[in-house]
Amino acid sequence: MSARKFAADKLLWETLGRWKRSSPELDRIQFLKTVPFFDRLSNRQLKTVSDIMFGRTYDTDEAVFEEGQPGAALFLILDGKIAIEICRETSTTRLAVLERGAFFGEMALLDDTPRSANARALEPTRTLALYRNDLDGLMHRHARTACQIYRSLASMIGDRLRSTNELVQMKAPADTVGIE
Amino acid sequence: MSNGRGFEEQERERRVRRRVFYLTFAALALILGGFLIWKLRILILPIIVGALLAFLFRPLKERFEVRWLPRELQVLCSFAAIGIVLFFAFNTFRKHIPDEEQKLEFKVRFKYKLNQRYRQLVAKSPEGKSNTVVALLEKQLGPFMDKINEVLALNPEERNLFLKYAAGYNGKPPIESKFVDYFRANQTTGKYVIPEKNAAGEISPAVSATPASAPPSAGEEGTSLESKLSAWMLAPLIFIFLGFDNGQVRRFFISLVPNRYFELSLTVLDRLDDAIGRYLRGTLMECFLVGLTLTLGLILLGIPLGIAVAIGVVSGLLNAIPFLGIAIALVIGVGYALIAENVTPLIPGLNPNDLVWYVLILVVITHVLDDIVFQPFVLGSAANVHPLVVVIAIIAGSLIMGVWGMLFAIPTVVVVETAGATFFKELKDYRII
Repeated sequence: MSARKFAADKLLWETLGRWKRSSPELDRIQFLKTVPFFDRLSNRQLKTVSDIMFGRTYDTDEAVFEEGQPGAALFLILDGKIAIEICRETSTTRLAVLERGAFFGEMALLDDTPRSANARALEPTRTLALYRNDLDGLMHRHARTACQIYRSLASMIGDRLRSTNELVQMKAPADTVGIE
Repeated sequence: MSNGRGFEEQERERRVRRRVFYLTFAALALILGGFLIWKLRILILPIIVGALLAFLFRPLKERFEVRWLPRELQVLCSFAAIGIVLFFAFNTFRKHIPDEEQKLEFKVRFKYKLNQRYRQLVAKSPEGKSNTVVALLEKQLGPFMDKINEVLALNPEERNLFLKYAAGYNGKPPIESKFVDYFRANQTTGKYVIPEKNAAGEISPAVSATPASAPPSAGEEGTSLESKLSAWMLAPLIFIFLGFDNGQVRRFFISLVPNRYFELSLTVLDRLDDAIGRYLRGTLMECFLVGLTLTLGLILLGIPLGIAVAIGVVSGLLNAIPFLGIAIALVIGVGYALIAENVTPLIPGLNPNDLVWYVLILVVITHVLDDIVFQPFVLGSAANVHPLVVVIAIIAGSLIMGVWGMLFAIPTVVVVETAGATFFKELKDYRII
């Protein structure tokens, strides 16, 4: 980090701390710092990201998005619980229950392919949404910040791919034996 | 069990109450909104113009964003830059606004030259015979020329003023003698069409006998002008405040949207923003290119720089009105060519006496260039509006809001068309309908 950037960051953080000690903006930035998705970002970059995020509040059982809908935004959970489920003709399978600090719908940051599962609030939940085109816009204005986010996204997708490969490899010998 | 039923009953009642509340609130909001819009309708146009300018300048503002400079200071710097450019443009433009003497001179010159051209056009052959075409032209153009002459005729007050200026008045040198000659010649210009007498020997009135409506009193006119001017002060304010906006307006409107439509609204707004932005900025660029082509063409034809720029700017701006823009460019260009004097074309071999034809050809070339080069390259597929819709929209716009209505007709059609198409597509994609 260059000296100028460091000084600017320090100034911003101190100013925010002094004037807005308990402001929603500061709370939001502090929350973003704890999210692994944004762990590579500086305070100033986090403020830039925070400025383009939308706060949404969901009631119990309210859908955040549904399977098959075009994805447009990534969601971060500020408070509450979100269930990720897939519905089939007769049954609903719960894939995960996400809590504060978790994020979901991240593939929507890449394109508008349909959502692969439902997301539903299990209790009153507050989220932050990052819209895909806003992130694209950030690419032009704050390229470094946007690159860091895309890098986090890429590394997360890479991790998932590795896990999937491992699962396939674990399953493959058994299948081979079965065929034999 | 009974508790559960009681709870359900309460919930149903609550839902009904909520529905009644929402409906009443929506009806009241609609009535209040309609009343306010009607009462404050004078502010609508300045607000639209201010917002539109902010929208058009947004990419420029984002393009020249300097990260280490506070945002407010950046916006102020951009406004200062725009202000300086506008100031110089206005100053240059003001120099070309004719004063009282020049206006009189212009009227006299225009009337003289126009009549001279008309007489040349309908001149009879040396044998005193007129052919059918000339007779037809006389019949068709005669009444029109009479009307133009009526408009261009100086009233007694203006005549006295012209004679004063002719002798040198208000510290200004006397008017050139040729303009005085024009003035004298104009005095002898008679009517080209003699009104037919009816059976009783009375001259039939050329216009209907309906009494002209009384002009507004000076006080009324002043108040109306003042309120209009104060309303237009809102346009730069809107422009400045939207310039400072960092997405807060969008965020506010999105916060009002129910969760179910959150992603849908973001997508629709974004697509609209993109489509309208491409169309408006494309149109602005197209207008600029048309204006530039006309200006360069007029300069090549030998028309003075100031006049060429003025005609280019007006024609370029009016080019935003399909069909009509080019017609107005033609009228302004040919109108000036009719009265132009001492013109030396920069292109060798051109006869200055045929300036009208050259201007006509120039306008046609510009129109063709606009159709086959500027529009496809600049606008592309930004807006694909059917010509019939364009015509109907322009007529409807002119009926509702006059010239402004004509100017905003096509952007409005583009907004409505894009909004409708995007909205229905997204509603289906999100499985809402």
